[in-house]
Amino acid sequence: MDQALIRNFCIVAHIDHGKSTLADRFLELTHSVAERQMRDQYLDRMDLERERGITIKAQAVRLRYAPSPGAPDYELNLIDTPGHVDFTYEVSRSLAACEGAILLVDAAQGIEAQTLANFHLAREAGLAIIPALNKIDLPAADPDEVARELAALVGGEPADVLRVSAKSGDGVPALLDAVIDHVPAPSGDPAAPLRALVFDSTYDPYRGVIAYLRVVDGEIRGRDRILFLSNRFVSESEEVGAFAPEPEPVPSLSAGDVGYLVTGVKDVRHAKVGDTVTLARHGATSPLPGYRDPKPMVWSGLFPAEGGDYPLLRDALDKLKLSDASLVYEPESSLALGFGFRCGFLGLLHMDIVKERLEREFNLELIATAPNVEFLVRRSEETTTVHNPSEMPAPGTYDDVEEPFVIATVVTPSTYLGPVMDLCQSRRGSLQDLKYLSPERAEIHYLLPLAEIIFDFFDQLKSRTRGYASLDYEHWGYEPSDLVRVDVLLQGEPVDAFSSVVHREKSYAYGRVMTERLQKLIPRQLYEVAIQATIGSRVIARETVRAKRKDVLAKCYGGDITRKRKLLEKQKEGKKRMRRVGRVDVPQEAFIAALRVDQGAVGERK
Amino acid sequence: MTERAGLYVHVPFCLTRCGYCDFNTYAGLDHLAGRYVESLRAEARLTSPEWSGATFVSMFLGGGTPTTMPSKTIAGLIAHLRESFALEPTAEVTSEANPDTVDEPYLVGLLEAGVTRLSMGVQSFDPVVLDSLERIHSPQSARAAFTAARAAGPSDVNLDLIYGAHGESLDSWQRTLDEAIAMGPEHLSCYALTIEPATPLGRKVAAGLVPPPDPDLQAEMYDLTCSALGAAGYEHYEVSNWAKPGHRCVHNLGYWDGRPYLGLGAGAHSFRDARRWWNVRPPQEYLELVASGQLPTGGEEHLTDEERGLERLLLGLRTADGVPKEWLDPARADRFVADGLAVSRNGHVALTDRGMLLANELTLSL
Repeated sequence: MDQALIRNFCIVAHIDHGKSTLADRFLELTHSVAERQMRDQYLDRMDLERERGITIKAQAVRLRYAPSPGAPDYELNLIDTPGHVDFTYEVSRSLAACEGAILLVDAAQGIEAQTLANFHLAREAGLAIIPALNKIDLPAADPDEVARELAALVGGEPADVLRVSAKSGDGVPALLDAVIDHVPAPSGDPAAPLRALVFDSTYDPYRGVIAYLRVVDGEIRGRDRILFLSNRFVSESEEVGAFAPEPEPVPSLSAGDVGYLVTGVKDVRHAKVGDTVTLARHGATSPLPGYRDPKPMVWSGLFPAEGGDYPLLRDALDKLKLSDASLVYEPESSLALGFGFRCGFLGLLHMDIVKERLEREFNLELIATAPNVEFLVRRSEETTTVHNPSEMPAPGTYDDVEEPFVIATVVTPSTYLGPVMDLCQSRRGSLQDLKYLSPERAEIHYLLPLAEIIFDFFDQLKSRTRGYASLDYEHWGYEPSDLVRVDVLLQGEPVDAFSSVVHREKSYAYGRVMTERLQKLIPRQLYEVAIQATIGSRVIARETVRAKRKDVLAKCYGGDITRKRKLLEKQKEGKKRMRRVGRVDVPQEAFIAALRVDQGAVGERK
Repeated sequence: MTERAGLYVHVPFCLTRCGYCDFNTYAGLDHLAGRYVESLRAEARLTSPEWSGATFVSMFLGGGTPTTMPSKTIAGLIAHLRESFALEPTAEVTSEANPDTVDEPYLVGLLEAGVTRLSMGVQSFDPVVLDSLERIHSPQSARAAFTAARAAGPSDVNLDLIYGAHGESLDSWQRTLDEAIAMGPEHLSCYALTIEPATPLGRKVAAGLVPPPDPDLQAEMYDLTCSALGAAGYEHYEVSNWAKPGHRCVHNLGYWDGRPYLGLGAGAHSFRDARRWWNVRPPQEYLELVASGQLPTGGEEHLTDEERGLERLLLGLRTADGVPKEWLDPARADRFVADGLAVSRNGHVALTDRGMLLANELTLSL
């Protein structure tokens, strides 16, 4: 198709501001989906996405639309991007596939942190921005005020802000017209060597890796020898097609087009998001800008609840890895939890998703250790990367430790500024910037250690602002911190799964919380159990589980014997499910409960 | 060698049901008593051929409350059982007795019928505790029953006591023990109160109306029992049983030593050659089955070697004689000995007083 008639655009919005509903209306208005096949959240295909109301994978859909009778049909490619900070890199690639973005804001909620973060990403990507208000028919909507906020953000007049109700469809045609009018047509060179951006990919068990492509220059046909520029991987493509909205093969995709490519690759690591596809012969030599390897930010040990399931877990991870290039893992052996894997994730949501998929799709029961960030340990000239707290060297054997920091953006009603700043302060944050979006709403930026955010920061933020504040963050880099490793010992034996690297000021509180929690979770046993938290050889907290004194059935005569034997057999089964640390039996549930991340962060004023 | 077996006879009638009791027993079915005794006789006739090779060294009338029946009836029953089974002339014959159902003439009748041992359900000498257990008898009637037993003639007397009921303190348990010791019975069974879910008391505890027993307080009471009864000359020969030398209960030792036993009556259990079986529980059903000439068996199990091994261990470790050392993991046994939870003598390992209270845990570890 003539590039002049193509528009590639996306919708950026805060969660629940109505992005998926608006996409549904676009599909209906352009008759892209047969009426009987239409369903809500049409583009969210994974069960997890539909259940959680979030977008994890990017999707694309081709809409055909004639703005007025007799006008030519335009091809509008809507690229639906993930909306979570864990997937910021994926979002940036989706944006790079577009020339314009609809910045959609709930007319009752106003601008939120994700709106800001995604707006800045879109602007940096050089996209044309179309500001629009959604949910204008809500009783609580304040379209005039929110339009002023939005105009001030993007630069322009409040009157230029479009108003729609994705629910009723009001204003939706005008929005599509604005896409045609304001989003530039693609301007690649159809005659140049092929350069196509992989902005997402999926894995099909039969067809292998299917890459989502935006062709920038040149043309790609169904069967071509293709080359991935980041790793020089060569493959035979099997099919190209468009999303109409279901995959539909086409003879070729050329400059400006959005579609898919059946790559012939069996492992998603060879066809990574952000990479550039070209032809093996007469191909382009310079890649499109912006490629980078996925970098895990959060680490956790995953262990099968049943020790015998280790091989199943390994196979499951190997399979999941085929469709998730950002998942990394290496075998880990824990004295307490047995054999498992130390896994790296893009963030907590990604970790949750992987764990849930492993449990759901592979029928595994897993114990996850508390997530931690990656530390850089410096010893004279040498820097070691540590992503398992139990591998953190002893105090005094290194010069300093650095941990990752983020710049967090919080948008909050000004009345809650105090509590929000208190929270950030208590999480070792330093204020970078404070702006007012309007007299009632403020935008704050804090430099915060990532480790302080990955626990319950978001829940705390919501509870302190009655749900009104929103959060987004971007990675900043590593900074030195006064961190120490706290170990938890049972009868003098360290339990590696409970080791944690925490800020020195919070180490006592962490030790106290862990020992108290375990004191309640470990059942009384034959012998007294001492629970200690230590830094190096120094004990910073101690609790005791008193020895059990009575464990016997008072009566045991004729008919009781069968019953008594069965009780003991049951007790024996229960013991088998416990993990032995030295001579202490620790129930599985104690590990799960002690490692929960949602019980409130340590050392915080409540 | 002939089999040395025990004979148990279950009488499922009580004046009232106690709140903590989950035995197969019923109040208000006394009108069935006549037919029930007939059924016991008939069941004995049905089953005696199978047991012709066994010598019975003990008989135990339990319940329920056997003493809700006239002593003559009991005498007739015992005589009939002696005809059906080879009961040793010197066999121990125990009858359970509720203090409220016995007086001197009645007990004279029992002894004449061949009863050699009386087991009295005293439970406590503290009225508060008796009330908490929903026992209808008073401390006075327990004292009177004991005096009547002594006056009726020579027999071993056991007192059943329960500790750790709601409202009982260490002091009140001490007073109950003191009074029991002062009476001088040959045998004392002292049970930590166990809450059974399917009882009125169990339901009250589940509903939070009554607190469950505190295991640490019960452990204190147990320690007190061990020292008080030990000082008074009683041997601690099973988790919950103490006896003057030479007065251990032969019948109950049979259970713990793994000897065969035959149970007659509704819900009674039997055991022989790795098979355990039990009669139907409801008295009416029991009566009907026996009346139709069938064995009233309600269920059975065949123990695997592993199950049998676990039973021998759990039962043996309840007793002062313990189990042969070769049954155990030697390293663990040695550790428990070193820690004062067990003793090792004559090739046997037995639990100490402290160890017995942890018998479950230790059985699983050894």
